[in-house]
Amino acid sequence: MTKILLVIERDLRSLMQQKSILLMRWFYAIVQIGIFGLAISRIITVMQNYYTYYAMGVIVMTMYSVAIFTGYEIYDEADLGYTEYLLSIPLTRRELVLGRSLAGGIRSLVFMAPIIAGFMFLIGIVDPLRVGMALVALFGFTFGVSGLSITLAVGLKSGDKFDIIMGALDAFIVRLSSALYPQAFMPKPIAILSTFNPLTYAADLFRWSLNFNIHFLANPVTSLIVLVIFLTTFNVAGVAIYERNLEGASWR
Amino acid sequence: MIHGVIAVVEHDLRVFFKYRFTLAGLISMNLADLLIMAVVYTRMVSFNYFQFLAPGVTATGLFAAAFVIGREVNMETRRGYNEYLLSLPLRRSELVLGRMTAGGLRGIIYATPLLILAMFILKFPTPPQFGLMLFAMYLLSTGISGLAITLAVALRGFERFTTARSLLYLFLIFCSTVFYPLTVLRTILPGSLILFAQLNPLSAVSDLIRGYLIGVPPVTAQSWTELLVFSGAFIIAGAGLYRVAIERSVH
Repeated sequence: MTKILLVIERDLRSLMQQKSILLMRWFYAIVQIGIFGLAISRIITVMQNYYTYYAMGVIVMTMYSVAIFTGYEIYDEADLGYTEYLLSIPLTRRELVLGRSLAGGIRSLVFMAPIIAGFMFLIGIVDPLRVGMALVALFGFTFGVSGLSITLAVGLKSGDKFDIIMGALDAFIVRLSSALYPQAFMPKPIAILSTFNPLTYAADLFRWSLNFNIHFLANPVTSLIVLVIFLTTFNVAGVAIYERNLEGASWR
Repeated sequence: MIHGVIAVVEHDLRVFFKYRFTLAGLISMNLADLLIMAVVYTRMVSFNYFQFLAPGVTATGLFAAAFVIGREVNMETRRGYNEYLLSLPLRRSELVLGRMTAGGLRGIIYATPLLILAMFILKFPTPPQFGLMLFAMYLLSTGISGLAITLAVALRGFERFTTARSLLYLFLIFCSTVFYPLTVLRTILPGSLILFAQLNPLSAVSDLIRGYLIGVPPVTAQSWTELLVFSGAFIIAGAGLYRVAIERSVH
């Protein structure tokens, strides 16, 4: 456990070194909520509180993109020849992957904490139980996304392939989910695809925790089960692939 | 003069197609915006958002593709490649003109399929209208390239450059009529940002394409004047600053 904590501490420190990238993501989230969200909610005619719905979605989307960062760091480390150092320290691969995945989730939460706190304050959510549930939902999701990011990065071992897959995933995962709009308004093919998307369940569980109208959300029990399956699958896969693939200098 | 410019343009166009992963990411983003996001929003708003967004997506694609040259120039500056460029048997004006022309052409090459897609969705224009749309896109693309090149050389550090690029991206895309009509922006933005959105060349190109393909907002002499003035300013400033910045970068 202590070793996992050391990995988490090290990953948290390394995130703080990427100040400008992080600030940009913060700023991006604020502009998305403050300009795009406000403007688009003025033309939405089928929902009364779309702005709140959208803002909650942007928070989850931003956390997703911060959690994905772990995969890019793995490439940077391979580029700098740092992977060999990581392999030489007295840690099992499992401790290393679990530490990194957990750190990915914690980093996303720490990074978005001021925006989440400000948003909850603005919409009047102060109930500690609801706040706690919302944070657990977000952490579970980002923990799984970090696992996914590690699985893909180590599985592919190619920076170009990883970049293109993450770019496409980013474009399609966000739009094929209920992060931006409720499933109720999606055409059937898009709605079907969105039911296989963990971002749908993370965003809806977060909204449910913050008391949003359940009529527009996925069932919270289903969401919880999907998120648990998601984070377990990708962390187990991450550990397995990391153990098998990390050695050897076949990084491209 | 022409020969040198053509050589620079050819080099930059060849390099552009090496960025296939960046281009694939851009295409995914643009298509996802149009074929998924716009389709869903159409069911949530009182007008056909899919038709409204098709020209806007063309403009954002053009902007992003034209900006790729900045990333390249920034890398060249950091790796000392500018010394090599300045040592070539080319006049500074040929180098500057060549790079900006290539930047403009890259935007057009990338965004023309998006424009054709918008034409399939909306309506086919007359050949002169199609030519005018391409000209408007070329102006914007060259102006954006100029801006990207200038930032790339002036800021040097990759992090500083990407931060500036993201800031510009945010302001130029979100404070424009790419995603929503100006009437909506008037209800949420303060006066100075409304003026910015109105004069933003991305708004001008999106609205010009909308004007030619769906008739709303109508194309007027004022829309062309705005585009010419602001793209012209970007182009002239970009060319002048690049010329100064590339020489300073090697001292």
